[in-house]
Amino acid sequence: MPAQHTKTVTVSKNGVGRAPGRLLHGIALGFERQPGLASVCCLLFICVTTFSVFAPSFLSVSNFLTILRQNAAAFISAAAMTFVITTGGIDLSIGAVAAFSGIAMAVLATFWHMPPLLAVAGALCAGAVAGAVNGLLITRVGMAPFIVTLATMSVFRGLSLVTAQGYSLPLPEDSALLEWAGRGWIGPVPVPALIMLFCVAAASITLHRTRFGRYVTGIGSNQEGVRRTGVNVRRVSLIVYVFSGLAAALSGVIMAGRLGSASSNIGVGFELDVIAAVVLGGTSLTGGYGSVIGSALGILTLACLKNGLILAHISPFLTQIFTGLITLGAIWINMSLKGRDLFGIRKNRDDR
Amino acid sequence: MTGLPPAVEMRGITRRFGAIQPLRGVNLALGRGEVLGLLGDNGAGKSTLTKILSGALAPTDGEILIDGQLCRFASPRDAQDAGVHMVYQDLSLCGSVDVAGNLFMGREPVRRVLGLPFLDTATMHSRAAEMLQGLGVVIRDTHARVEGLSGGQRQAIAIARAAAFNPGVLILDEPTAALAVMEVEAVLSLITRLRDQGVTIILITHRLQDLFHVCDRVAVIRNGVVAAERQIDETSIGELVDLIVGERFHARSAH
Repeated sequence: MPAQHTKTVTVSKNGVGRAPGRLLHGIALGFERQPGLASVCCLLFICVTTFSVFAPSFLSVSNFLTILRQNAAAFISAAAMTFVITTGGIDLSIGAVAAFSGIAMAVLATFWHMPPLLAVAGALCAGAVAGAVNGLLITRVGMAPFIVTLATMSVFRGLSLVTAQGYSLPLPEDSALLEWAGRGWIGPVPVPALIMLFCVAAASITLHRTRFGRYVTGIGSNQEGVRRTGVNVRRVSLIVYVFSGLAAALSGVIMAGRLGSASSNIGVGFELDVIAAVVLGGTSLTGGYGSVIGSALGILTLACLKNGLILAHISPFLTQIFTGLITLGAIWINMSLKGRDLFGIRKNRDDR
Repeated sequence: MTGLPPAVEMRGITRRFGAIQPLRGVNLALGRGEVLGLLGDNGAGKSTLTKILSGALAPTDGEILIDGQLCRFASPRDAQDAGVHMVYQDLSLCGSVDVAGNLFMGREPVRRVLGLPFLDTATMHSRAAEMLQGLGVVIRDTHARVEGLSGGQRQAIAIARAAAFNPGVLILDEPTAALAVMEVEAVLSLITRLRDQGVTIILITHRLQDLFHVCDRVAVIRNGVVAAERQIDETSIGELVDLIVGERFHARSAH
């Protein structure tokens, strides 16, 4: 590809060309295009090596699949949250929407005796509607995303509590399909992990390889500028929030399926874990730059941390402290890497 | 001028915001391929006038004719469809998007893979390089993010983006403000090149010396009307300053 060639020339002029090995050079180029990925990769590597030493059962295929299975919902929501944050917005309502969708599914299946597929569709619709409400208030009324989703978080949590009356609603025992999304297996691979991989791949391709993804990035960078080129920025933002609600609903379906019941207090604090992972993955909280792969690695890092601390017989109470410290550390690394490449060499910012 | 209708003609343009009336009947005509310098002190009505011509504001009264055709612009899109494009002073570029992405923002070429439309980045980059080269703009790498470029390069990208629409009329708002000397030269030669391609250009600037390099004519707006028009070879910086301020004024900045 000729374009790749031009890039190589530019970089080697900055001194990286002397680095040993073409592989390292390639990795460096990759990181240069996605600067936030460098720090999260380092942290993940440190986590994995540390726990591999201190917890013998950590580094195994079955434990890896367990981590994917347990965190599938977070992966999916993080992929959608990456879009929201890349536009410069935020969605605090995803935990509540996940709970509400789970409850909706349980009510439709258990009390309204709907077939499982319709119950799942109903839950996803509930999530999409919740996202549309957020999106309309933000794009049409012009309210700040933080305020809107803080309020709807409260509303949807309340709706879940009212609907379930505080109980945990069991899924009907005769419909294995409802639980399939949360605890099914296809051969040796858990179903939630497959759903998650599909969502993350689709989201990453959409963000980097489609017009829609380009406008999402553009809106976060300069909304008025994108509007002046004739793009319907309101519609793009609205779709982003609908996606976020839809992803939260899918998360809710998976979580309810895994537990075999829907509870109104599922996913409390879920949104904060997801946001932390997205930021950890290098997505700019002020918008304009996002990486779905980075967010997935962020979730993976936090998940490895939780899983590893337990396997290493360290108090689970310490997990939250580590999560917070790691997030701070990652952002610190990101900031000091800014304007430098992987080897800490200052980049020639002005291409004069 | 020949028998052709003017590329742009504005007749009796007024605009009122409540009790304030920034435009009180502007009459202005530009021939095809003409470069007009639009001058005026802050608040004289320059930006209101250009917003009306570019469709961002509707006039309270008056007519706009493009190539002799009466036009009504309800939005910037309408004006763009009529061939009138504006490059705003803040450039409207996305810093975190690369050069090619900015040039094609809003009309990216797509390539279908399995029926799904994906960005055709290879075409974008090769055509972006051609566009920039055709306008004599030196940007080595179309993959570079715009936030890392110099002010002159950004200005060139913004102008190139507008030029890519084959505009009949191009409005440039302060394109040389806050640029280094060499960058000003590059932007002025870009303007000249566009004029040679037959684009009618309205240039707003506070750098009066630039006008003498690229303009054919200047119009001075004061108190919401065209207070004076001058052929560029029949005027001087001193006279222009007097016209802008509206009285005999011993402007130290003119000497």
